[in-house]
Amino acid sequence: MLSQVFHDIEKKIITSLKDNPKQTPENLEESTKLSPDQIRRGIEWLKLKELANVEESKSSIISLGENGKESLEKGLPERRLLDLLKIKSTLSDLQKELGPVFGPAMGLARKNNWVEAVGNTITLKNPPDVLPGEKSLKQIGDSKLSSDELDSDDFSGLLKRPNFVIEEIVKTKQISLTDAAKSINLDTSSGGIDVEAKVPEIFVARTHPLKDTIDEIREIFVTLGFSEIYGNMTQSSFWNFDALFTPQDHPARELQDTFYLDGISAKKIATPEQIRKVSDSHKNNWRYQWDINEARKMVLRTHTTCVTIKHLAETKPDEARVFSLGRVFRNEKVSYKHLVEFNQIEGVVVGKDANLRNLMGIQREFYKRIGITKIKFWPTFFPYTEPSLQTMVYNERLGKWVELFGMGIFRPEVTKPLGITKPVLAWGGGIERIAMLKYGLDDVREFYNNNLNWLRSVSKCQ
Amino acid sequence: MPVVELSYSSLQKLIGKVSKKQIADSLPFLGLDIESEDKDLVRIEYSPNRPDYSTDFGIALGMQGLLGIKTGALKLKIKKSKQYSISVTHDVAKVRPFVTGIVAKNGKIVDKTIKQLMAMQEDLHFGIGRKRKKSSIGIHDLDKIQFPLVYTTTDRKHKFIPLNSTKELSITEILETTEVGKDYGNLLANSTKMPIILDANKNTVSFPPIINAAVTTVTTKTKNLFVEVTGINKDDAEDMLSVVATILQSAGFSLETVTISGAKNSTPKLAERKMTVSPSLINQTLGLDLNVSKIISSLKKSRLDAAAKGKNIVCTIPAYRFDIFGEMDLVEEVALGYGIQNLEPTISPSQTLGQTNPVSLQLKSLNLTMIGLGYLEALNSSLTSKRVLYEMTNRESKTIISVLDSKSLEHTILRDSILPGLLENLSKNIHESYPQKLFETGTVFSSGNPISETINLSGISAHKDANFTEIKSVLQSALKTGFDLEIATKTTEHPTFEKGHCADVLINNKAVGVIGEINSKIIENYKIRVPVVAFEISLSESILKSL
Repeated sequence: MLSQVFHDIEKKIITSLKDNPKQTPENLEESTKLSPDQIRRGIEWLKLKELANVEESKSSIISLGENGKESLEKGLPERRLLDLLKIKSTLSDLQKELGPVFGPAMGLARKNNWVEAVGNTITLKNPPDVLPGEKSLKQIGDSKLSSDELDSDDFSGLLKRPNFVIEEIVKTKQISLTDAAKSINLDTSSGGIDVEAKVPEIFVARTHPLKDTIDEIREIFVTLGFSEIYGNMTQSSFWNFDALFTPQDHPARELQDTFYLDGISAKKIATPEQIRKVSDSHKNNWRYQWDINEARKMVLRTHTTCVTIKHLAETKPDEARVFSLGRVFRNEKVSYKHLVEFNQIEGVVVGKDANLRNLMGIQREFYKRIGITKIKFWPTFFPYTEPSLQTMVYNERLGKWVELFGMGIFRPEVTKPLGITKPVLAWGGGIERIAMLKYGLDDVREFYNNNLNWLRSVSKCQ
Repeated sequence: MPVVELSYSSLQKLIGKVSKKQIADSLPFLGLDIESEDKDLVRIEYSPNRPDYSTDFGIALGMQGLLGIKTGALKLKIKKSKQYSISVTHDVAKVRPFVTGIVAKNGKIVDKTIKQLMAMQEDLHFGIGRKRKKSSIGIHDLDKIQFPLVYTTTDRKHKFIPLNSTKELSITEILETTEVGKDYGNLLANSTKMPIILDANKNTVSFPPIINAAVTTVTTKTKNLFVEVTGINKDDAEDMLSVVATILQSAGFSLETVTISGAKNSTPKLAERKMTVSPSLINQTLGLDLNVSKIISSLKKSRLDAAAKGKNIVCTIPAYRFDIFGEMDLVEEVALGYGIQNLEPTISPSQTLGQTNPVSLQLKSLNLTMIGLGYLEALNSSLTSKRVLYEMTNRESKTIISVLDSKSLEHTILRDSILPGLLENLSKNIHESYPQKLFETGTVFSSGNPISETINLSGISAHKDANFTEIKSVLQSALKTGFDLEIATKTTEHPTFEKGHCADVLINNKAVGVIGEINSKIIENYKIRVPVVAFEISLSESILKSL
């Protein structure tokens, strides 16, 4: 049994129902002097505690219609006919006297064998004292009654006749106490409230979980001495590929991997010197005819590296730590592990003494700060870095090593044509992958589903 | 990334004294990822710049070096022969100008070898051959061919029995009816003359880059091979040949030269290259302090040859390692030979001060303001669909920026507005409890050259009492709190909003966005059962301060 703590509203309702065991909410309003809203809440609470039963029922309320009211005053048409037959008997007289109701009245009288017609003469046969419907008509009178109160045999005829009665369907609630409630002694319960009761859920407004991860990563790099740079998502192929030593016939540049913008070529892509030197680097090393029109084609950036390299080509720093963070695009089939659009972080360190072990050190420090300590480095290949490595991190939940950031030192074939003279350490990778580890997700699409159930329930501190 | 399927037991036989576990543990340090394993079978992903890793012979070669079983460069032993030659006629210059080749004798060919050669050939075609455009290979049964050969052109009526066929087909038929013909015929589409290799009896050997003749098909009865590579660039063709020659020698074949002449063609040398690298560059780049002999032994473990010369190191690079462009590539070879696992990460103190981009900072505080107002942050793709952007929201699609050949129908055009995505989000959540209040900040695109990318903020509120006053209060408070800006609203019409319940948002008399009650027809289209109010404003022009 629940601790016996009741709100004043509940107490009043219980008291009233003890006196009068079945009541509608309206009856309760009257007996308790509570507002409709208070009654509604009180009933809800009692229902939740299993102290009140609410029975919903439908009933029909009957009142007289226009023809019904006329019949109440003058008698039913067939009654008027029968009465008239006591004094008149020719068809024309009857029609004249009764007007439009003659037809229906005559039909009913003949059907019931109350009259007999021979030629133009109509005579009474053996009519009953009280005609069907007369009893109900009187009973309804000027009031509104529930159809339950009427003799249904007598009443059914009236219901079928046009405009005799009006039927309204009304829903009613009947409140009663459950057996448990009947034994409650209100006098012994305290004036406190039910502190053990369930309360409604409130949904907290919050930042998107993926944004939390992005912010966390941004903050880590800022504290490691990196500055954030911005760049466009739409880029010319020149900066997305050519400047990064990716030959124009490389498979990664095909439509099936990269999103090209339909019919859009950049007018200005770079300085004439940059274009000349980059194209020479391609011609000499990859041995093909470099085509500037290919470099003009606009793409949705496939990595944020294009932002970094453009920045370095503009600033040519001797010493720098910068990063860019944002969305990148791949023409992939969307699946639990692939999105067409995802976030990437890309960072670089420029410095005359920058070396591969430093690059690995920055990665290790970064992973440590997001709580990943089991990491290792494997060699890999990227067209624009040499040497190139990838980080493998151990996923405890899946029990296996998964690939995270790729990294390397920009090739001289990338840096020299753009006038960058100091070594550039670069790394980058998808943020969704890190966020998936953090939130224990197996399906990357969840981040962009905007499923309120997930957004409202996912724990903010992981 | 291309994938090759191998067996541990055959790798063990090729490498020498090594356990299965040693192989599995070392594969990643050659730059090879194990994709999957099934008992003895292992599927390995290799990078396209190392086509020598497309067979177990190539991987065994690398593994021997890494494990110290056999180090140094593999030398190609090619016997000079006068028996085999190809003469080239001038008319190929405009179609596919170069041919090169080699003969490989006395090898043992089992089913597995044929399968491997085919797989290697396909990988080479796809990768460095750029889908056969740059260069393509034909591997033939040497004993079915009468030398000397001629590489020349013919017309489309020329007939022969192609590989995997039993009857003669004309070149036109091959291009129109066979799978390879349909896949690669476009490479020859611009020319009336078709490249062809004919033998001494005028029998067709190969129709490059499409298909070989059936008569030279390699079977398990084949003892001796003839390999030809054709291409649009002589060096590329020889690079491809060097990979095949290296693999065939490793597989136990004896190589012999094929003399090639005519129309700027010449006999391939497949010669080693020399390259000098300084130990200081290596140590500086890797952050190590290796002495010369350690550097030399590391390079040898990467299957290169190296020797000290003064302060520098001279490296000998076999022909098949054409992925090595310059010094930096040699630095990586040292790192691989030394062992990536032996490089200890170090952290160097930062010489720079970090700074968050001011735009990021402002967006973050705006986000927090919206959250304070009870709005949950949503995230939608910038690449979306006409349905979401225009059809469902009744907006006009004026100048759309679309992408070519998207694999996903839901991601075909760049968004010019955030609000339609939020409406779509509400429609997916009609079973969740109300009120539902969402916001998003993000990039929107508008066409032009250059394309403009700006940042918008949109907020949406759906519940039974949602109305204009509520959403205006929210926007007003957000901009007041976030940027100390006052807004004004002025009646307007917008197809997404209900007529008479919609306004332009003005800041300093300049329109920055729109606000109002969403059109009831749109709400109905989305099967949302409560009123919805929303706003969208551009942050870039009048609101965000850039530094």
